[in-house]
Amino acid sequence: MKKVIYVLLVLLSCTITLFASGQKEGNDSSKVVLKVANYALLESGYEQFWKDVETNFESKNPNIDIEWVSAPYGEIMNQVINMAGGGDKVDCIFSEIDWIPGFEDAGLAAPIEDILPQSFINDLYPDVMKAFEIDGSAYGVPLYISPYVLYYNKTLFEQAGLDPNTPPKTYDEMLMMAKKLSQLKDSNGNKVYAFGQTTASVPVSGSSVNAMIFNFGGTVLDDNGKLAVDNDGFKKAINMLKTLDDLSYNPQNAKLKDLRNLFALGQLAMYYDQSWGFNGVRTINPDAENFTASAAPLVGANGSGQSLLQSHCFILVDNGEQRKEALSKFVQYVISEDVLADYLSNLTPAYPAIKSMANLDSINNNPVLKGAAQSASNVKAQPFIPQLKDINLELCTLAQAVTVGDESVSTAIEKFKNRAQSKLSE
Amino acid sequence: MKKHDIKLSDNSYSFVLTIPATILTAIFIIVPIIQSLIMSFQKYGVKNIISGKPGTWNNLRNYIKLFEANQIPEAAYHTLWFVLFVIILQFIIGMALALVLNREFKGSRFIRSIMMTPWVVPTVISGLIWMWLFQPQYGFAKYFISIISFGNINDLAILNNPETALGGIAIAALWKQIPLTTLLLLAGLQNVPNSSLEAATIDGAGEVRKFVSIVLPYLSPVIKIAMSMSIIENFKQFPLFWTMTGGGPNGATTNFAILSYREAFVSMNLGSGAAVTTIWMLMMIIIVGIYQKSFKVQDMS
Repeated sequence: MKKVIYVLLVLLSCTITLFASGQKEGNDSSKVVLKVANYALLESGYEQFWKDVETNFESKNPNIDIEWVSAPYGEIMNQVINMAGGGDKVDCIFSEIDWIPGFEDAGLAAPIEDILPQSFINDLYPDVMKAFEIDGSAYGVPLYISPYVLYYNKTLFEQAGLDPNTPPKTYDEMLMMAKKLSQLKDSNGNKVYAFGQTTASVPVSGSSVNAMIFNFGGTVLDDNGKLAVDNDGFKKAINMLKTLDDLSYNPQNAKLKDLRNLFALGQLAMYYDQSWGFNGVRTINPDAENFTASAAPLVGANGSGQSLLQSHCFILVDNGEQRKEALSKFVQYVISEDVLADYLSNLTPAYPAIKSMANLDSINNNPVLKGAAQSASNVKAQPFIPQLKDINLELCTLAQAVTVGDESVSTAIEKFKNRAQSKLSE
Repeated sequence: MKKHDIKLSDNSYSFVLTIPATILTAIFIIVPIIQSLIMSFQKYGVKNIISGKPGTWNNLRNYIKLFEANQIPEAAYHTLWFVLFVIILQFIIGMALALVLNREFKGSRFIRSIMMTPWVVPTVISGLIWMWLFQPQYGFAKYFISIISFGNINDLAILNNPETALGGIAIAALWKQIPLTTLLLLAGLQNVPNSSLEAATIDGAGEVRKFVSIVLPYLSPVIKIAMSMSIIENFKQFPLFWTMTGGGPNGATTNFAILSYREAFVSMNLGSGAAVTTIWMLMMIIIVGIYQKSFKVQDMS
């Protein structure tokens, strides 16, 4: 009899395990819940801004609740995809511009014209919006934009006997200045690096290398998304990376956050970053505002110093009429002067993407961005292909091959072409 | 009324008791493995996950592409080099520490307790700690090496050099894993009968002879398990690699775990990620199988 009891207990536990399930959460049916995926909530300096957005938006729209979905920067895409795989799609993703092709290919991103009113879309700069298009439809709506700008340390320029108000305009000028800057030591006797270009194994570093290739007038992909690296600009940009490494001007294999750290501590004289990267610098050293200035991206060889358009944007998901309507209200609320003016002036230096904010003095005369003001119009968009992340990572590997890998430029480029072609053929 | 006794044979009883474990194994291990195997022969992307549509069969394309780009051979080399390097040093250092701690001396209990600290630290945190220690501009390792080399080596950048990056990760893995190996070996050492050691001493055996002929044979079951665990742990090592180098520089630390993650969750090509996983799993089964077969546990009864 004992055995039978045990067997019945086993069967009972199996039944409970197999059929146990959570109870669906009860929702207040009168409210629309908008799920917004946002990695910035976990980043220092940004949490309060987004919490205020939630509070103020909900008080203006009492029938809409914001539910944040957060994960670290590197994991947010997987988080959104895993949720969607389980049938739980978010409504909006706060995203880098480079993430758009991946979400569009996955079938998550919706054309913005399906969700936002035309009057709002008309207020966005048409040239900027071209960078968000796939087959003629925009799949992201920018909060703000920026090229990769050149940040430099005015104090270090002075210490090196250089004019702090005359930053380099070309790579040749930069190399001449770097010679003097690299002789400096910081107050603790640490080496000062002259020039920082990120090359670590993360997609954003590849995107930054891509911007450098544009500086030289080179290309990585043609307009049809095919590999197009057999050009002088591409080769000269990679050569420049090798030169910077041979001369020990560039911290090897550094992530953007490493460069921000070195710059904040006065151990890096110049470096390329997204304009909003300055917030990371300021978080490490609040005094950075006093020694930081910006300049337009450098001109290399036969290029015109063109850079790659970068943006923080919203990717929108179609979850039915009721949620689309709420989403439209949310996007229009955030991308407005009321919400973004202070944010762009004080927290995240960047250029607005809507025409109605064009004349805001606090943004146009932002002391940190002033030097790079003209560069926002000298940008180029990379064609959107689903493998963009892979190509960016392969660019990092190429940069590492000619720097820490000590490979010749031609060998490294050949290897890059094989790997990139293999990725593009998938 | 007649009372009915329900009787179960021992076989039926045993069978019923294994049902929960069988169901759980099938759902959480067998089914995913089969699904992954099927997926490795398919073009299967994020779109398939979200839409629920099955992948399309592409024969061996995922495997061919990975071999053509030399990704599998490179990942296999990095994985095997790492496993071999770590388990050999782990065994030598772990055994040395266990022998020291097996003797009673002042503070030995305290050292035994504190020794386990690295093992308790989550692997990702260990990776971050070591990444900062190895940081090329202001890391402690650079400072330390500069001092002990009397200023001759000032540019140590272990994780930035393709020649040394794998070694840097191996150091972090050893720091984390040696405590457990030491603990297991220490437990084994305390079971070596004193009577055998005393008899050997009376017979004139030296310390080395006693270690080789008595201690090691008694320890062999523990060594076998400890090293099996270590092989598996390091074969599937992901957090240290991802945190410290992300597979770089120049692909020098891309092991199977990193390659699989990059294919599946960065490139969003789950078919290709599954192909890496399949080769990785097969290789691990073969190596652990060979190890289990070739390692003879000595019967000291």
